[in-house]
Amino acid sequence: MTVLTRGAYAGPGTSLDFKTGNWRSTEKPAHIHAKAPCHAACPAGEDQQAWFAKLQEGHAEDAWRELVSANPLPAITGRVCPHPCETACNRVAVEGALAIHNVERWLGDEAMRRNWAYPVTEPAEDAPDVAIVGAGPGGVSAAYHCLRHGLRATLYETAPEAGGLLRSAIPRTRLPRETIDAELARVLGLPGITLHTRARLGRDVTIDELKRKHAAVLLAPGCQEGKEWSVDGAVPADLHEGLHLLKEFMDHGAVPEAKNVIVHGGGNTAMDLCRIMKRSGAETVTLITASVLPGPDADPSDVINVVPRELEEALEEGVEVIEHATINRLIMKGSQVCGAEIQSLRKLPGQDGRSRRVGFEGTERVINVDMVIPCIGERVDPEGLNGLVDHGYLRPSDRFGRLAEERVLALGDARGDRGTVADAIGDGRLAVSAVAAQLAGESDPPADARGEMPSGGLNLGYYEGISRAVAPKLAVADRTFDKEIEGDIGRAAVMAEAERCMACGNCLACDNCWTFCPDNAVIKTEELAVDGSHYLFDMDFCKGCGICAHECPTGFIQMLPEEAGG
Amino acid sequence: MSTEGQDAARLAELRQKFGREPLPPREGEAEQSPRDAQPRFRGLESGHRACQGCGEALAARLVMECAGPDVMIANATGCLEVFTTAWPQSAWRVPWVHSLFENAAAVASGMEAAMKAKGRNTKVLAFGGDGGTYDIGFQALSGMLERYHNVLYVCFDNEAYMNTGIQRSSSTPHAATTTTSPAGKERMGKRHLKKDLLSIIAAHHIPFAASASVAYAADLQRKVRYAMGVDGPTFLVVHSPCPLGWRHASAMTIEVARRAVECGLFPLVEIERGAVTNVMPIRDVRPVTDYLSLQGRFAHLMKDADSRAAEERAHLQALADYNIEVFGLRGDSPDAADTTGTAVVGRSGRPAGRI
Repeated sequence: MTVLTRGAYAGPGTSLDFKTGNWRSTEKPAHIHAKAPCHAACPAGEDQQAWFAKLQEGHAEDAWRELVSANPLPAITGRVCPHPCETACNRVAVEGALAIHNVERWLGDEAMRRNWAYPVTEPAEDAPDVAIVGAGPGGVSAAYHCLRHGLRATLYETAPEAGGLLRSAIPRTRLPRETIDAELARVLGLPGITLHTRARLGRDVTIDELKRKHAAVLLAPGCQEGKEWSVDGAVPADLHEGLHLLKEFMDHGAVPEAKNVIVHGGGNTAMDLCRIMKRSGAETVTLITASVLPGPDADPSDVINVVPRELEEALEEGVEVIEHATINRLIMKGSQVCGAEIQSLRKLPGQDGRSRRVGFEGTERVINVDMVIPCIGERVDPEGLNGLVDHGYLRPSDRFGRLAEERVLALGDARGDRGTVADAIGDGRLAVSAVAAQLAGESDPPADARGEMPSGGLNLGYYEGISRAVAPKLAVADRTFDKEIEGDIGRAAVMAEAERCMACGNCLACDNCWTFCPDNAVIKTEELAVDGSHYLFDMDFCKGCGICAHECPTGFIQMLPEEAGG
Repeated sequence: MSTEGQDAARLAELRQKFGREPLPPREGEAEQSPRDAQPRFRGLESGHRACQGCGEALAARLVMECAGPDVMIANATGCLEVFTTAWPQSAWRVPWVHSLFENAAAVASGMEAAMKAKGRNTKVLAFGGDGGTYDIGFQALSGMLERYHNVLYVCFDNEAYMNTGIQRSSSTPHAATTTTSPAGKERMGKRHLKKDLLSIIAAHHIPFAASASVAYAADLQRKVRYAMGVDGPTFLVVHSPCPLGWRHASAMTIEVARRAVECGLFPLVEIERGAVTNVMPIRDVRPVTDYLSLQGRFAHLMKDADSRAAEERAHLQALADYNIEVFGLRGDSPDAADTTGTAVVGRSGRPAGRI
């Protein structure tokens, strides 16, 4: 009710009686937490955006806690992960992706230096105990996530120490032993985790026995057996299969001598071996891959699947690559290899729509070699797995890893369609979440159905170009077998890098909506609003112009149809 | 003990030693609503009748926020007058007077003289649109500046008579279509140029005259605060897009204003006593078509079939280039106060050390 002043002047602010909110016809603004693309792309399930936010606030320990809520091994993944998060990063549209892996690595190292405590408590004495077969990255991640869910975990590992493929297949130049030892010791030392080493499945323990003693059995055996490799039935007598050669090198520090080497494959093992052979004195090392090197014209699904900086460093060191090719024939002298015939091929869609590899007649050429190393993948050693192995791998029926047998789940490389440490870590988290839900009598945890924030959803006018931090690297001449090649970027660069995060899909509290609303319909609150921001929309006055949504740098404000909830 | 526990304990200890009990809520006082608890002065309140995405309403709101409560306003006829004061209501929280289209500056002069006579420090503001400033109220404004009244005159420049139905004013840019300068067979929109008002104002040798844009709120508010501190006549022209008259989407108000600055057609400059003392450098200069193509009032310039369109586009580009050259708008290197640097946001507002 408007009260007129003496002389019939309108009182101050009396327009508040007039609710312009009913002018809105089609759309209204809403706060929508979209997934940042880094988070959506992370196989381990980290929310990089969330821990970068803590770093922006200057709280490194909080950032690390946020990080380890998904991935307990950041010092390790920061060194070995092919970082699909950086490939997905929206900052590419400004001046280049964030150096996420360098920051992750620094946080992991800092946690060890300062002995930050993992945010878990010891589970109850009588808490259900989960058996985990294999103490590689997947198994260790599963054990850690058991603690987060209040469960106890018992790891069974064939080798004398935990680490799995981290120890056997990743060269020290990428991942120093000290880092593995320190980070694994910190996780495995948490109360509630028991590790049995030299316990081989099928010899020392069996699945049936584990099922009797434990609430659930998680299988993370990894892939230990090389796939059989032959070219038209020809197998050299002195064949060096990739993963075994790599293990041999990791154990003894030496590889057989050779002058001209061909590595056949397109993964990280192939890349590691190329570099090891080159560094041990081979004159030429040639990688034969059916894929293609990354470049502006390369089809992303066809690009070689290796850590990008590894490829870059390998090329720096003089490794040669023949793309889109395969080995057609081996040229033997007795049972020794002396050459190989290479043929070009392409992945092309066939008549049934599925892509297949087509070799091109007339492109054959012979190169002289004295060693061929196949790195075409490995499969699961079926021993003790009760016939659960199907065509080389454990093939679960859902994303949690459930197998045909009740209370038995599979995770990591053994699933066959994985291939990175981060995949295994993410599998461990998911499998344990399913086990915990089942033990509590609940249904499976729902998948995160939020949409992803594309760079087109941001307003890039509010970010300025800041160049990406560059990690120091050993010069090619100084690279040895045991010195780490990529260095630490340091605290200052980490903090500067954090400033580059655009917080895609999440509120920065930048005040733009509050500043740019012509109708005072955005209200800033002191306490956090329920949606985690500091702003409310006053729908009594919002006319639905959409300025706030357009000027929101992160895309956190979106215009929704008037009828929709929210 | 956890860190949080330690913090709480330490806080309790400090309170015990130095603190005093927080005051209980005053009796009979309703709890403050979130609207009332906002840490900004709302001189222009919600409930006004501006169109969706009104640049002028936003500009007036931003000016009032930092001009503060101890002001009074003389308002010329125009949109701002009409949409804020639909009797018997008012969106203003400060004393506000409207008399005629042509005399806002004269009324403000009188108000200032009255304040002086009463020994009060209340600052007088005069608000007008481009019609009430560039055209109809021009002689009153000139007189106010010449008599050296302590008034901040703010012109909300939306480049036509929007209130009466989009008629051209002397502020309408060259080649824009309005109802009285329609684009068609005979002409490509307005035949004449936008009046260079700021130079005329500067010729009065007043202490401070500046142009600002709603797209750069921090810069606009800095200029208002500076002008508030000047004892004498000051003048601010604020570029305020009008979604209705310029025919762009209401959500694009800020984007359009930003592009006007970034292409050089609306230079942000500060003039003190007739001399240019500061300009906002443009980090990445845009072509004028980036600005024109967002607006329906320039749609006839985007028709490739019409040879006159290319010519007018080139003409507008030349006008923008002229501004860039005359005011030296091209930034030499990235600057925290250039067009990009001013806009940058970070967590919890603008990065430290920015205006």
